[in-house]
Amino acid sequence: MISNMIKQILKNITGKKNVIEVPDKLKILPDEEHLTDLINGIDRIFGRSLRIRQVDAGSCNACEWECTALVNPIYDIQRFGIDFVASPRHADMLLVTGPVSRQMELALKKTYLATPEPRIVLACGDCAVDSGVYKGSYAVTNGVANVIPVDFYIPGCPPTPLQILAGLKQLMEKLSSRK
Amino acid sequence: MEKSYHRKVLIKKHLNEEYYEVMREDFRDVCTYLEKKGGILRLMFATDERQINGTFRLYVVFSVPGKDAFSIIVLPLKDDLTYPSLTVNIPAAHWYEREIKDMFGLFPVRHPDTRRLVFHDPFPADSHPLRKDWKISDEDLKTWGEVSAIKSPSDFLQVEGEGIYEIPVGPVHAGIIEPGHFRFSAVGETIFFLEPRLFYTHKGTEKHFEGMSFSQGVKLAERVSGTSSFSHATAYCLAVERMCGAEITEKAQAVRTLLLELERLYNHIGDIGNICAGTGLALGYAKGAVIKERLMQLNDRLTGSRYLRGVNIVGGVAKDIFRHTEDIMKTIDAVTHEYKDLMKFLLGTVSHIERLENTGVLSGEIARKMGVTGVAARASGINDDVRKAHAHLLYDRLYFEPHTQARGDVYARMMVRAAEAECSISMINTLLESSYKGELSVAVDKAPAYSCSLGYTETPRGSVFYWVMSDEQGKPVRVKLRSPSFCNWPVVPFAVHGNIVPDFPLCNKSFNLSYSGCDM
Repeated sequence: MISNMIKQILKNITGKKNVIEVPDKLKILPDEEHLTDLINGIDRIFGRSLRIRQVDAGSCNACEWECTALVNPIYDIQRFGIDFVASPRHADMLLVTGPVSRQMELALKKTYLATPEPRIVLACGDCAVDSGVYKGSYAVTNGVANVIPVDFYIPGCPPTPLQILAGLKQLMEKLSSRK
Repeated sequence: MEKSYHRKVLIKKHLNEEYYEVMREDFRDVCTYLEKKGGILRLMFATDERQINGTFRLYVVFSVPGKDAFSIIVLPLKDDLTYPSLTVNIPAAHWYEREIKDMFGLFPVRHPDTRRLVFHDPFPADSHPLRKDWKISDEDLKTWGEVSAIKSPSDFLQVEGEGIYEIPVGPVHAGIIEPGHFRFSAVGETIFFLEPRLFYTHKGTEKHFEGMSFSQGVKLAERVSGTSSFSHATAYCLAVERMCGAEITEKAQAVRTLLLELERLYNHIGDIGNICAGTGLALGYAKGAVIKERLMQLNDRLTGSRYLRGVNIVGGVAKDIFRHTEDIMKTIDAVTHEYKDLMKFLLGTVSHIERLENTGVLSGEIARKMGVTGVAARASGINDDVRKAHAHLLYDRLYFEPHTQARGDVYARMMVRAAEAECSISMINTLLESSYKGELSVAVDKAPAYSCSLGYTETPRGSVFYWVMSDEQGKPVRVKLRSPSFCNWPVVPFAVHGNIVPDFPLCNKSFNLSYSGCDM
């Protein structure tokens, strides 16, 4: 038993395989290629670990629950090397949701400044893109880009966990071509 | 001589709503009398009707105990924009009066705490957005966004004494949650006092409603609080339909009832799982999250939205959910099985249950006085459920009893959720057994000029109320929304008093309040 385990661990450490096999039940993207692209991107660009800090800047909480869902055992985003962290100081990327309410504007700016460079900002959800259904209200700033520089957008109200994953995959492609 | 608390004049009767006008000097007596008689303060709000009849008006809505009826006290304010505060006698009015002061500039005389509630310091003084003639300059908007919300020295309530220290937390928290600031005054590890400063996500929703037509407003109502999207939209649609005198079909009622229960189910099971995150029980959290995800995917298959958006329209519903009866039954069967398994596991894990018992106790007396609603109220022994007290949709045909617990701790709130989840499952199965007559939606006529009405339902968190008023063209004059979180946030400090700081997330998760719903 134990020798088997040690063998397995050694195999894991020394083996060249860098794509984690996904059990059939957990297959969530239409084809394997997508997963491979995403994982390769994270491996190459971020040294196998992408750390995201989520900031709610006035969202209705639907986008947050979709981010939380990404961590559940069905999507299990951690298997790709992606994780949500507790402080902007640990983050490679800010994932901002909500139309940026005026009363969150300063907090968002401070969070942005606390994120180490080079930092990527991803505006997630229709509100974050252009304040969505709240467009024109006195208490919102009409989208994240009006407050801090934004690199990428994922629209949707809210974007489903799969759409966020697909968005991250495209983001890897864009970052690769940038390098 | 006639007693002052009887001096009120019936000015309007509409369905189960009775509007009584009172004089300023009788306002407090009349309201206090209604509350003493067992009436529950459901909501309190103001309107700017200066263009219609030259006055601001205050509305205080009480449920009449034991009857499906509302007594609504109306106080017109013309030149003197102050009124006697109700908070002294009815503590549940506390936040409503501060909100009205911010949004309308109507001042509650003798209110114990007249600091701002909705707006933070940089917002210009004497500026009240819900007044019809309100304007704000670009410069003021800029200052509002850029200047720090917290003054130094701060205007938080201070606790003084040996060994007391303050812990400021937020608005940006460590987890994937909404923003809010908490100021703990702790003695060692024990929380002595907590003051939340919320409204960071204030989006001017009520004002924004006024710029839309009633049918466009559904989209906004769906986006007030993410996980209660369907309940909010239902309450809003019911309010508009009642105002316009529209009768929706049995089919539309059935679809709404079914989806309300599906929404309750995914929330309650998700919340039970989330409580495990508060105690560090990873397996329980994961199991809860998986069941919740299955239900979200069912929502997606039924309506094309994981949050049940885009189904409600004014006049009925846009999608026939009963085409998917087989899918719903199959999924609910599987979910029931997994859910029972989860509860068996949780109740058998002593280390988990011990953390929940006697943690975050909310006494029945405080809950009643502060006007707590929903799961939190029922866990503190208050038998109140809008589905029962003011039966709407098909709830009068379904057999159920509000589940209550006496202890008011985290465990009680979890068990109320567990009982309600099982109740929802049986309601869904019952609803699927019958067939329902009628079209999905009916045409709704323009509302008569200056008519108004309430709409309400029970969200997974508690009761939600909408009150709408239309002008001559059938456009909204005022849309008031009151989400359950607005009633429940003020009692969180009472529940955490005497608990240790590390248990705060656990207490907070057991209430599971929406910041966005409260901040509007």
